[in-house]
Parts: sequence; structure tokens; C-alpha cells
Amino acid sequence: MKRKAGRKARSARAKRPRSARAAAKTRPENSTDALVGASAQALGLTLDPAWHKSIAFNLRLILRHAALVDEFALPDDAEPAPVFHA
Amino acid sequence: MLETAAGDFTWDSAASIAAAVAAGRVGATHIIEATLARIRERDPLLNSFTAVTERRALARALALDEARTKGERLPPLAGVPFAVKNLFDVAGLPTLAGSKINRDLPPAARDAALIERLEAAGAILVGALNMGEYAYDFTGENIHDGPSRNPHDLDRMSGGSSGGSGSAVGGGLVPLALGSDTNGSIRVPSSLCGIFGLKPTYGRLTRARTFPFVASLDHLGPFARTTRDLALAYDAMQGFDPDDPVCADRVAQPTVPHLDKGTDGLRVAVAAGYFKGKTAEAVAAVDSVASALGANRDIDIPQAERARSAAFIITASEGASLHLNRLRTRARDYDPAVRDRLIAGAITQASLVIKAQKFRRWYREQVLKLFEKVDAILAPATPCTAPLIGQQTFKLEDVELPVRANLGLYTQPISFIGLPVVAVPVPLAPLPIAVQIIAAPWREDVGLRIAHALEAQGVVAAPRPAL
Repeated sequence: MKRKAGRKARSARAKRPRSARAAAKTRPENSTDALVGASAQALGLTLDPAWHKSIAFNLRLILRHAALVDEFALPDDAEPAPVFHA
Repeated sequence: MLETAAGDFTWDSAASIAAAVAAGRVGATHIIEATLARIRERDPLLNSFTAVTERRALARALALDEARTKGERLPPLAGVPFAVKNLFDVAGLPTLAGSKINRDLPPAARDAALIERLEAAGAILVGALNMGEYAYDFTGENIHDGPSRNPHDLDRMSGGSSGGSGSAVGGGLVPLALGSDTNGSIRVPSSLCGIFGLKPTYGRLTRARTFPFVASLDHLGPFARTTRDLALAYDAMQGFDPDDPVCADRVAQPTVPHLDKGTDGLRVAVAAGYFKGKTAEAVAAVDSVASALGANRDIDIPQAERARSAAFIITASEGASLHLNRLRTRARDYDPAVRDRLIAGAITQASLVIKAQKFRRWYREQVLKLFEKVDAILAPATPCTAPLIGQQTFKLEDVELPVRANLGLYTQPISFIGLPVVAVPVPLAPLPIAVQIIAAPWREDVGLRIAHALEAQGVVAAPRPAL
């Protein structure tokens, strides 16, 4: 059964222990710094330490945008925009 | 009317050049020689070209002139010089995409599909144009080639990422250029350089043999100084192409025959809320266009701010995926501003990206419902007129924001769902700024009709710079 998205589904969101936006706001800077280092290593990217600050700044910017999207409740059956057709 | 008789056709339209060539009033060779001379003379100021294809252009012009001498009927864009953003493949040149890294690529073996289609219509390629590195840019600046400059004030940005396209057309070097638009890269330079730009529906024009950026958001389209020229070029480029898996298998829908139909019966509204102009110039531009169209109705595009955020995430992540191998091996050869954004995108969690793609479908469904009530929606193309080259921040409603990320504030929520948009220049003094005419999917004809009517009223026009 289809569930409505957005405002009408927000009651479900309110029950979450912690909203995405709150998480983004309270995420300490050093956690994104740590994420940059660990993820880059996992992806095989060799970073100059001088780049960390700017990459972390850009990552925080992406995560702030992501929080705005993440807090918008969508039904479980919401399909992503690009759908593969066999 | 062609000014060629007076020895200068710098500001002539593609349509008038083609008509003069077809009628034998001027030779294509003369047009191309004069264009090449103008590029040599003025491009050191504008820095819009990265390559000039002189030999092939002269050879094509000669072939057209010979065909006319034999009495052959010439195609609709005969003798019209054009140039392309340097992410289009041009046979014999490496496809730079604004980068240092791609200079090591072998030369392209074949032209991009849209170059082939324009040349089949008689247009003549004269070169490749400067752009922001790998199209991740709204400024027109380029660390490797230098910034393309705004023809109305050489100290100001051309807008990006198709900066050279805006600069070359707005500066009178060519009447027609091609660019790409992932988040606003046709509409932002159109606005800052004061020219017309068309970002067609996603999937309308083939992207075959161009260097990608964000596959699910990339569009190609034309720049010109009149609506008719946009429509002529667009009509020549339409049609299915199996070489681009996204290109829609649709019958071409010519727009030129509909240009003069006027706006009677078209319902036009002004985007409210998020799209309300944040500067006097953005407000003035939308007001003048809305007033000329009698558009006194506001319409809310739901969740536009969130849509922009979702486009931001998808761009960062898909763009990073494209570049991951190069980031591993040649990170130091990128513009640091682009590299650091791409690396941040590579680190972004997939769950957030997929959520953005789910939101994208929801948002599309909501926005498409609006087109049951209206035929077109007006919104500013950029938040302000051209910032200074090198300017890092600007103030919008007293909030200091980074220029690089925010020039596309109003364009991102629209390309996010692939709607067709015509950017129309409002010739404010001292600098122009454009308005977006947004239509329903596959209704480029509606946007072009409205743009043409506004042009006939003198409300929108490409202002001629004092170069």
C-alpha cells in the first residue's frame, strides 16, 4: 500500500531517536576529519595532509545538504529516480 | 539584416548569415575568414577559445561555396560559424573537458554527434571553448587555461561551467555555441553574459562523444543571441541516437514553425517562495518579464530547496565515481577546488545518495502536477549579475555565501528533474541577467515561443558589449 510522503509522514520521523539534521549539526568536526582519512584509505586515495581541511569542509557541506534530504520522510516503497529496466 | 556589406557582421544572427550565404550575397569563405580574424583580434581579451579549427573550417566553407556555385540548395545553417565547449569531441583534438589530465588523451577520432548534426545543417565549426574543469563549476574560471571573461566587463566572470560559450557568443565572436548543463552550466553563463540559452529536456539531445560529468543530470544545448537562432540550432540537433543510451526515442518536434504563434492561450506563472529574487536585479528581471507576459499568478514549486540539496549530493557522488581512478593516480593534476569536492563526493555514503534519488522521483511527480495548471513558470536564472573574477563570496539578503556553489541556486532544482528551460537575457544596466522560462518535459516549443514573443516586445535582448 502506498504511503504518503512528506509532511503527513512526519509523525514516523518524530519517533526517531535523533533526526538527520540534528545528527549533522552535532557531528563533531573531528568525526568528519576521521571519516576523510579512513574513507580515503579504504578507497585507495592517497591524500596530501594539506588537502584534509578543504576535503572535510566539502564533506560537511555535502552532509548538511544530505541531512535536509534525509529528514524528508518517504514511504518504504519509494523508488529511486533511475530505475533499471531489463 | 546582414551587416556584411558594411564589413562587419559581428552582431548578425545565425539566421541572417545563413540567408545571406544561401542567397549568394556573401560567401561562406568570407564569413569564416572574417570570423577567424575576429577571434584572433578579440579572443586575447575574452579568453574564450582553447583551440581554433581554422583549416577544417575554411575547407568546409569552400565546399559550401562550391555547392552554391553549382546551384545546389544550401541547408538552413549554411555558413554559420559555431564553436563548442571543449568537452565535445572534435576529431583531431584531445577532449580537454577543461582539465590538464585530458591533454594526455589521444585526439578524438570522430566529432561529437551534435557537431555532426549542426554541420549537416551547414554550420561550420571554428573551434573549442574554455570551460570550468570537468564542468564542476559555475564561475567560468579555469586554473589551467585562465578564466573566460565577461564581454560586458572583462574583470567579471563569464559564468560556468560553459564560460567560453557564454563569452564567445556574448562577445560577438560567433553567433552560435554549444555547451553542457548539469546543474545550470548553460543557464548561468547565459545570464551573466546576457545571451539566450536552451537547456532541453533531459534525454532530448544526444550526448554521444562528449566527456560526461554526472550521467543522470547531464544535458547539452545551444547558446545564441536570438531565440530564432536557438530554435534553428535545436531543430537541427534533435533526433534519436543509439550512441547515447539516455537519448529518447522520440520523433523530432521542430520548433521554428511555432515561434511566431505568440503567447495567447499560454498560462504563465511566477515561481514563488524559494525562487523569489534575493537581489534587486533578479527581482527587476523577473518582474519585467512577468509584466510583459501578464503573468500575475505565483506558483509554489514544492520542496525546491531540498531538491537543490539532493542535486548537490547526486552531483558530488556521481561526479566522484567518474573520477575515482584519476583521483587515485593524478590527484595533483586537478584544480584543487575541484579535486577536494570530488574526493568529498567519493566519501559520501551511498545510502544518502540513494535517498536523494528516491526524493528526486517524489519531487518530479509533484512538479509535473503543476503543469496541469500552467504551461510555463518564470524564475531567476542567477541570484545576481556577474561577480568579479576571483570573488569568493557574495551577499544574498545579508547572508555571506560562497559564489562557486551558489550561482546555481535557482537552476539546480529545475535541471534536477530534466525540465526544458530557455534562459532569456534582460538587458539591465550596467550588467544583464537572465530569467528562466521553465516548461513541461518535451515542451521546448512553449519556452521558445514565449522567449520569441518577449524578444519581439523588446523586453529581452542580448545587449551588444562595447568591446
